[in-house]
Amino acid sequence: MQQSRTITRSQFLAIALSIVMGLIVVRLFWMQVIQHQHYVALASEEQVKKLVIPANRGMVYAMDGDTPVPVVMNQQVYTLFADPTVVTEPERVAQVATEVAGGNLLVDDIPKVLAEGKQQKSMYRVLAKNITLRQAELIKAKKLKGIGFQKVSKRVYPEGDLAAQTIGFVNNEGRGQYGVEQQLNDRLMGKDGLLKSVTDVANVPLSIGKDNIRKDAVDGENIVLTIDRNIQSKAQEALLAGLQRSGATHGSVLVMDPRSGKVLALADFPTYNPADFTKVTDERVFRNVATTEPYEPGSVLKTYTVATGLDKGVMTADTTFYNTDKIQVEDRTITNALKGVTGTISMQTALNNSLNTGMVTIAQKLGDGSRITRGARDTIYDYFHNRFGLGERTGIEIANEQKGLLISPEDVEGNAVRYSNMAFGQGLNVTMMQVAAGFSAIINGGTYYSPTVVEGVYKNGNLNKENNSKAKPAVISAEASAAAKEMVHQARAGYTKDDLPGYYVGGKTGTSQTLENGQYISTQTIGTYLGFGGDDSSAKYVIMVQVSGKNMNLEGNKHAMPIFTDISNWLLGYYQLQPRA
Amino acid sequence: MRDSLRHVGSSASSLVRRHNPDYKLLMYTTILVVIGLIIIFAIGPQRANVLNESFGSNLSGTYFVIKQAVSVVIAVASFFVFAFLFKIDALLRYRQILLYVGLAACTLLFLLGNVVHVEAVTQCALGACRWFVLPGIGTFQPAELLKFGMLIFLGGFLAARMRMGLINDTEKTIVPVLALLAVAAVFVIGFQKDMGTGIALFSIVAAMLVAAGVKKEVGLVLLALTVAAGLLLIVTAPHRIDRVMTFFKGDEASVDDPSGYHIAHAKIAIGSGGVLGVGIGNSVQAAGYLPEAINDSVFAILGETFGFVGLVFILVMFYLLLMRILSFIDRLEKPEYRLVVAGVFGWIASHVVINVAAMIGLVPLTGITLPFLSFGGTSMLFIAAALGVVFQISRYTVHGHIKEVTNENSRGRRGVGRPRYASRRSTR
Repeated sequence: MQQSRTITRSQFLAIALSIVMGLIVVRLFWMQVIQHQHYVALASEEQVKKLVIPANRGMVYAMDGDTPVPVVMNQQVYTLFADPTVVTEPERVAQVATEVAGGNLLVDDIPKVLAEGKQQKSMYRVLAKNITLRQAELIKAKKLKGIGFQKVSKRVYPEGDLAAQTIGFVNNEGRGQYGVEQQLNDRLMGKDGLLKSVTDVANVPLSIGKDNIRKDAVDGENIVLTIDRNIQSKAQEALLAGLQRSGATHGSVLVMDPRSGKVLALADFPTYNPADFTKVTDERVFRNVATTEPYEPGSVLKTYTVATGLDKGVMTADTTFYNTDKIQVEDRTITNALKGVTGTISMQTALNNSLNTGMVTIAQKLGDGSRITRGARDTIYDYFHNRFGLGERTGIEIANEQKGLLISPEDVEGNAVRYSNMAFGQGLNVTMMQVAAGFSAIINGGTYYSPTVVEGVYKNGNLNKENNSKAKPAVISAEASAAAKEMVHQARAGYTKDDLPGYYVGGKTGTSQTLENGQYISTQTIGTYLGFGGDDSSAKYVIMVQVSGKNMNLEGNKHAMPIFTDISNWLLGYYQLQPRA
Repeated sequence: MRDSLRHVGSSASSLVRRHNPDYKLLMYTTILVVIGLIIIFAIGPQRANVLNESFGSNLSGTYFVIKQAVSVVIAVASFFVFAFLFKIDALLRYRQILLYVGLAACTLLFLLGNVVHVEAVTQCALGACRWFVLPGIGTFQPAELLKFGMLIFLGGFLAARMRMGLINDTEKTIVPVLALLAVAAVFVIGFQKDMGTGIALFSIVAAMLVAAGVKKEVGLVLLALTVAAGLLLIVTAPHRIDRVMTFFKGDEASVDDPSGYHIAHAKIAIGSGGVLGVGIGNSVQAAGYLPEAINDSVFAILGETFGFVGLVFILVMFYLLLMRILSFIDRLEKPEYRLVVAGVFGWIASHVVINVAAMIGLVPLTGITLPFLSFGGTSMLFIAAALGVVFQISRYTVHGHIKEVTNENSRGRRGVGRPRYASRRSTR
């Protein structure tokens, strides 16, 4: 009976069990009650994921008359991928994928790729890209194991290469490149939403948890361009035809509405289709020449000099001077390209024949009559730079706009020689956009409109217009504007009889030498033409054309002007303007 | 009542009158099984989702709970077979056959799985074959059969030695038991690489030896031998070293290695449950974070779902069940019965303690199920069988204590004429 005093064997087991159970409960109390917050923090660190809800990128519209039409749209496409470790029938996968999406396949031998993937324990192999929803559904219906789809948004361009350099493209990271896509990237991108949620191990959000946050994505704005798709395609067509006639390799056309600063067409050649931006090998093809590549436009800027002289009242079209085809400025002698129109001639004749001596004479008249004084230079700078906007960014919504260079009289280099050159369009570096905008002010009655390419935003089926152009009224007087316009009209009339009769069309040629390594070379010239058109009441459009080619002497009147004429005559019809009786 | 009267004295060697079995045993077990079904019902959809996502299977949300319900039905059947149909004395007579069947099943598994590699009927992972695949029925783990066979065999064997007074005899008792354990260990721990089942086997034998009354000295020697063998097993298997290292690194352990990840997430699940838990269906760890969430790690999910209160309730149920089983030992006359009951205690207790202690980071991780709660059929089937045996034995308890090391049946006829099922309190 001594056993009953001590513990029995089963009591020993009971005590052992009780101690262990007690330890476990103490440990549980420590973990679940005292350390609870610590483990909750660990859990949420792992379980709570922030997921981005991607915003849809805005579309881009162009105008078709008064109606916006999409030129850049989004398409949901799918990437077909396989998990090689799960795929059970590689042959069937290959057969189905080839049948349904043969053209989109990225790999040739699917069974081989899957076998390799399986060996490497890879769980992700892309089989095909850019599959449509319909194709994806067809493949899904086959119920293949280990096959999945990823939704991808892709930019599509229903109008192909239309206004490609103005629109730009979206790179593979989803950022806009060049043109409006880059410049207005933030507006087009919108704001991604945020989903903070408890997720399962595969990052799929669960409905469990009280701290879940959902902030919806704000889709990007649909930008409507001022570009008119009809004018744009006519401009591209005319440019291409003109280049083919002249053999030039590069060309740009700018069409804008001088009454508002709205850019109606911006064509560049060579061009590309933004859908195939990856196939472009020369980066310059992406550039919007009219805004990003300043050059010396040459004699087209004589219209600026004439307008300045007219507005300052130092000349009229009939003001005469004695032309010797030579004129002395400081230590330099300036000559004319066209020689022989000598003697006492009018300023109109000087403009018609693009005589440099006439323009230098006007510049001298702005001074003391025989020299381009500091006062004259200040005046020219005031008009060219402050009033007409040369040498400054216009603020147009196209990426990488350049300001060019217009040397001020404050500068040592802003001397009389420099300014005598500027009077006929040399010794400065400006963009077509600057020149066309300033020219618009010269012929529209004297109001400068900063150029814009954005008409507004398309939302819920409505075009909400924006006023992106800043008007600067009375940069020259209405009388000076009318006189300048008439002089430009006369200047064009001397060159061509091809304009439709009964309209009011004018223009000025320009042929500029190009600089190579800081030296003018005579083997390569750029042909430019700058003009306006409309009825007697007002000019409805300004067109600027530039053609060039490596080692080619291209001239304003021979090579650029026909393109202008082509577009101008077409536009008179497009706008259905009534010819005067 | 009639039934029990008729059985008085009919038992082969006992004079104890057969009375009503112990229904509390059933009550605790039922509560635990119901909790198990609830938790599997709750996390089944998440589990099915995880499997569907990663393996492309097409399991429905109720797949697991239905399968578990089927397992419960089979387990209940097994319980009734061993509680009512198979008489315990008959079972003890066939103890050698039972043991041989268990060993044979393990041998067959080894031959088919490891030697000739018949993949159609065996399920192997990383060179460890633990399961038979019965086409159309499911899987079957022969180690569980071996546990049951060892339980019954040793019950009879050790009881015979006790009667002969040879329980502490090295040659006649200790060495044969050790030899049997060693053979079982070779199959379970060696070939099947199943440390959990091995520990459970050892616990069954240890509990039986304690109940059989082996001397403390012998017990200590056996313990030392076991510890030495355990260490040897750990250092010879890299994955066990990893698990032990993970255990000693505690919370600092990297979650990049599988065992560290497993324990870290079990702790996160339990700890984030707090006092009352996140509630049914709100478990996040079950959504793929915690490995084996539905099987070996179900305790952690229970902790997340029901919190400290829920876990303590579950542990109390286990504790009451185990204490109930223990309470029979001192009130049974036949040493066979006492040993079998002690073995079942060791079986269930080892599963509960090792599983729970691993989940809360008290011992290194081993793959072992939590009885009645883990998803899985074989384990439940044999624990139900063992409980059925205990249930049957509970009919033969007597009042008060039976002196240890005596085999007299002096109190056998006490209390004839009134039904009673052994409430110790009522006799005090």
